[in-house]
Amino acid sequence: MSVNEKFSAIRKGLLEFLVLQIIAAEKVYVADILKQLSATEFATQEGTLYPLLSKMRREGLLDYEWKESEAGPPRKYYELTAKGREQLRETLEYWGRINGTVKKLGQK
Amino acid sequence: MNKVITINLDGNAYQLEEGGYDALHAYLETATARLQGNPDRDEILSDIERAIAEKFRTHLGSHKTVVVTKEVAAVLAEMGPIEADPGEAAEPGASGAGATSGGSGHAPTGEQRAAGHGGTPRRLYRIDEGAMIAGVCNGIAAYVNIDPTLVRLAFVLLTILWGTGMLVYLVMVIVVPEARSPEEKAAASGAPSTAQEFIRRAKAGYYEAIKGFPDRKARREWKRRFKREMCANTDQWRYHWQSYWAEHTPFHPGMSFALPLLSLLHGAATILWICVLISLLATGTLFGLALPANVPVWAAALLLFIAYGILVWPLKAARRACYWGLGRPSWAWSFVFLLDAAVWLAVVAALLWLAIHYFPELREAVRSIPSLAHEAAGDIQAWWKGR
Repeated sequence: MSVNEKFSAIRKGLLEFLVLQIIAAEKVYVADILKQLSATEFATQEGTLYPLLSKMRREGLLDYEWKESEAGPPRKYYELTAKGREQLRETLEYWGRINGTVKKLGQK
Repeated sequence: MNKVITINLDGNAYQLEEGGYDALHAYLETATARLQGNPDRDEILSDIERAIAEKFRTHLGSHKTVVVTKEVAAVLAEMGPIEADPGEAAEPGASGAGATSGGSGHAPTGEQRAAGHGGTPRRLYRIDEGAMIAGVCNGIAAYVNIDPTLVRLAFVLLTILWGTGMLVYLVMVIVVPEARSPEEKAAASGAPSTAQEFIRRAKAGYYEAIKGFPDRKARREWKRRFKREMCANTDQWRYHWQSYWAEHTPFHPGMSFALPLLSLLHGAATILWICVLISLLATGTLFGLALPANVPVWAAALLLFIAYGILVWPLKAARRACYWGLGRPSWAWSFVFLLDAAVWLAVVAALLWLAIHYFPELREAVRSIPSLAHEAAGDIQAWWKGR
């Protein structure tokens, strides 16, 4: 397994977490999410994002509502549910702990 | 020159070059296959379609109405392959190269192309829309892709010449099923099933969307919009030169009044035609006006049919224009429609009644049909032999 493949496995696992974080900040639609991710290592595509979003919705983490857009048809705007916020909080906390562990371990 | 295919994505019509259509078709097929078993499959697919539609729109302008193959490929590459299980998604960081290879992975091979065009096999149905009687001729016309008027003429000819047209028609009314569902309607004219599939999903998305609206007003507005767009697209498939012309006629309030009037004219023309026909069949003259010496009665009747068709066509087209011009169906629309139908029926029925009661020629005309058919058959036989 190359280094890159290992990183890719990490990214995969973290994508959901990042999506939660983006949606927590404001109501967004898919193009906003893609745009925010595009500048990072987590750049992804609709083909990945839509199945992920619908899985998260199925798990009750987020919901969407239809909103008119200035040009073109209505769009789905996503927002977190209470459960989604709770999961984000837990994940952030967990992330903090992991981070701490990563830094701490191996230091004398 | 490239063939252009019209599709419906998310309730809007898009025109794609054939190669682009194939690529899109293959992409959606793959997506559908990969999402097999996913409880949200339909929703994800309609999300995907909406996203594709949005990207297509950026490639179109007021002077550019067709999405070319290259652009479709670019859009699909941008979309990226559908990841069946997000938990096991491959490389989310889609580098340029990764994205391109993902997109071209869906480029159609010869085989997929053939499969994609298999589409729905064409099936013979009766089509009620725009039908004269039971939609048999309409269905046949859609099946072989010609103008229904020609099929009707053929039937009328068969009826006049050997009387078989009526029999065949009756049998077909019983035997041939009517196209009821959108799928059947599509199959009747061989429209690509994918287009119908898009509609189905667009509708699914519609009901999803309806749930999402907080208040009734927003919901109603969305409903209206959706219907308008769906109608526009469905009509585009039902594309017919008459309705095409009619659809492009701007609405005028006078139309609701013009419609019954047009019906009146149409009814009158029909009656006039029937009377002339009766006169011709019964006396061999046009209201006493003798036919030219070498024109047989049956040929005159045939010419009469054609003349009637030509005369009535603008009336029919104008009525159609009024229907379309009235815009969205509403109570006013139904009212005008009802009034129109009533006027038309009343005129035809009343005049027919009068004709039967006051013109003994009518009975004679009916009686003369078999001998006339015989005469026509004889003439044709003679012509055939003398050839």
